[in-house]
Amino acid sequence: MLDLWLSGFEGLLQARELLFLTAGMMMGLFFGAIPGLGGATALALLVPFTYGLDPFTALALAGGVMGGVPMGGSITAILLNAPGTAPSAATCLDGHPLARQGKAGLALGAAASANAVGGIIGTISILAILPLAKNIVLLFGPPELFLLAVLGLVIVATASRGKMLHGLISGAFGLMISFVGYNDVTGVQRFTMGIPYLWDGVRLVPALIGLFAVAEMIHLSIRGGPIASDTEAIRITSMTSGLFETFRRWRTVIRGSLIGTVVGAIPGVGGTVASFLSYSMTVNASKDPDSFGKGNIEGVIAPEAAINAKDCSCLIPTLAFGIPGGAEMAVFLGLLVLHGLQPGPLMLIDHQVEIYGLIWALTASCVLASFIGLLLVRPLAKLTLLDAHVLVPVVIAVALVGSYAIDRTIENSILTAAFGILGYLMIRFDYPRLTLIVALILGSTAERNFNQSMMMSNGSLNIYFTRTVCVCLLAILAAVLLFPILWGSNRRRSAILAREAAAVK
Amino acid sequence: MPRCQKILSRRMFLAGVSAGAPLLAGGTRAWAADSNFPSKNIDFIIPKSPGGGFDNLVRVVVPAMERFLPHKVNVVPDNIPAGGGGKGITQLYRSKPDGYTIGAVDLPGSFVLQQRQGGVAFDLNKIVWLGLLGRPDSFALAVGTNSRLKSMQDLMALSKTRAVKFTSSGPEGTAYAATVIATKILGMNARMIAGYKGSSDFVVGAMRGDGDAVVAPVSTLLPMVQAKTMRILANFETRSTFPGVADVAALGHPELAQILLVRIVGAPPGLPAGIKTILAAALNKSMADPETVRLAKNLDVVMSPQTAEETETIVRQSAALFDKWKQYLAA
Repeated sequence: MLDLWLSGFEGLLQARELLFLTAGMMMGLFFGAIPGLGGATALALLVPFTYGLDPFTALALAGGVMGGVPMGGSITAILLNAPGTAPSAATCLDGHPLARQGKAGLALGAAASANAVGGIIGTISILAILPLAKNIVLLFGPPELFLLAVLGLVIVATASRGKMLHGLISGAFGLMISFVGYNDVTGVQRFTMGIPYLWDGVRLVPALIGLFAVAEMIHLSIRGGPIASDTEAIRITSMTSGLFETFRRWRTVIRGSLIGTVVGAIPGVGGTVASFLSYSMTVNASKDPDSFGKGNIEGVIAPEAAINAKDCSCLIPTLAFGIPGGAEMAVFLGLLVLHGLQPGPLMLIDHQVEIYGLIWALTASCVLASFIGLLLVRPLAKLTLLDAHVLVPVVIAVALVGSYAIDRTIENSILTAAFGILGYLMIRFDYPRLTLIVALILGSTAERNFNQSMMMSNGSLNIYFTRTVCVCLLAILAAVLLFPILWGSNRRRSAILAREAAAVK
Repeated sequence: MPRCQKILSRRMFLAGVSAGAPLLAGGTRAWAADSNFPSKNIDFIIPKSPGGGFDNLVRVVVPAMERFLPHKVNVVPDNIPAGGGGKGITQLYRSKPDGYTIGAVDLPGSFVLQQRQGGVAFDLNKIVWLGLLGRPDSFALAVGTNSRLKSMQDLMALSKTRAVKFTSSGPEGTAYAATVIATKILGMNARMIAGYKGSSDFVVGAMRGDGDAVVAPVSTLLPMVQAKTMRILANFETRSTFPGVADVAALGHPELAQILLVRIVGAPPGLPAGIKTILAAALNKSMADPETVRLAKNLDVVMSPQTAEETETIVRQSAALFDKWKQYLAA
């Protein structure tokens, strides 16, 4: 095993491979930073150029792109509240409030270091679990995926403390939106109002760009002034402070990386779930949950660590069975096949050197991208000093054009604008956007897998109580639901006892 | 020659010239248009998501096609997967028939889609077919290697006690249509577990035990069989590529061999004949291009150049198969 790891690493240390890796990383960084483009577009553009390359070099190039995208996505998420990629949307939640406080440097530094550390932990985890890859994929069928989606929804719902009713309303609204479009199981169109654009449902990336970037720009244009309200503070935040924050919050980094690894390894779930789940679990585990959404650095570290860790583990279902976790992996899968690397259980046996080389390439690229991100912290942070009348038109134009560029559809831009207005109203009336987004992502997954589970069991709910993984997930679900109640009553009892003790004295 | 006859013939000549001139000019213009074609980029609609086998195949063919077109332009792949591919096919169907929009569809799944949409969005019978994307792929019936079903006899015996569950794509997918048609021909009591996202996904579903069996393209099953994770019980080929596995003759149902995954390139109805010839020739030449053949082999697709007429015959066969079973497919 160790010699194969080293062979993969050695293969990557050739000048040609390093050159392609760096070129891919730069491209990934750029495509990740532009809202709407992302890794899938970058890889799709690159595929024809790899025809003449040997498979290892093509993998180094692809690994470079995939490793560079998350850092690029985080830069615009933090600075402009415009998530370059869907998973980076979770970083907006606390990253941008930090930028508004003049701490963009701190947030970018923490994001860059969490990216790198998450990538390294993800690599170590994947190297450890790769031999078990086949079993992991086969453990998660429709009943397990349904419960996993419900678990994700519940974790996020419990994260919206203090405004549970608002959280539930936006969650329910997100679920309603997620049911728009074509039902994969029955083949029926729902709530599309005769608009062909809605056949595929409400698209996630244009919706996220609207909810974050456009909403923020509306908010900023009404408020006026630069993003950073405290223009003096920006000078005292540096890349080193962000770097140290990540290492100080090592528990958050490890938790995020492990969540990223586990979620990434489950077929068809994808990175957006990983980053939002990591964020929500960090909120739940925090002693000061109310500080999240207002600029808590852990709210940046948690999703960033998860995003890069999942990049490696996403390879498990892709390589072992050809089931991609998202659009980026789907295009990468095509690249593999074109180079004669047929995904399937045999690939894990026949092409181990290439697989380990790819994993190393991903890790090297994300560390390299983080390093470049750190170098850019200071100049990029100055973007937050720009005045609204300069920034707002530019960001709104980039957001709308980026949405259009996803698949050259003008309806994407209309959707972005509509979600921008919705996002602004949610900010204005204090409704959490997190629950809406997670419901939007997980709603159709939950529905499809529930329908399939019922088809498997002839309509009996017993299927959720007779499968080991399902029973474990139900137990976790019960724990997540009961923990806040028990914790709350325990705290109340302690408070009463303390008051009684004080009264006796 | 009498004078009146002379005048008549002169009149006739003048009338003929005056009537023919515009036609001649129009013909010249059409010829000029054809000879200038293509003068701008060609949009190649793929009604599937990026990254799947179908998308990869188009992306393999496109660079060669650009080389074989008479003028240097780009052929730009454009993924429009919405509505199970319906939106992409509709866009292809409604585009201007000037040769600058072409697209690929798979059969018989697209016939199901057309039927389910009430035939209002597009009519596959009116699309101008240019050629096939590789040789049509056969289907096979398989189970996971851990399944207690060891043979077709076991499967048929199970079918007598309860519905056999098949994992498959959504109802508009070609694999779904293939499964429904195959189980009807075999006289099997079947139930679908539909909605898987891609062919690998529903094959793994069967491997995991979500359903009892799966009907999938041979090219998808091959790597799983080689890895001993799937076992083929029946192959719908006239001569089975898997040793010891029953083919259509052994199954006693030669009709099963008509169930084929056909990937086909077409253009909007009304495409001028001259432009059709140019596009079909470029597509055909790109199929025979050694680099295309090599890359397609990695996708387990055998490139087999076909004329537009041969392609139309294959479409008609697929349409006839669909027509026969459509009552079970378009519910």
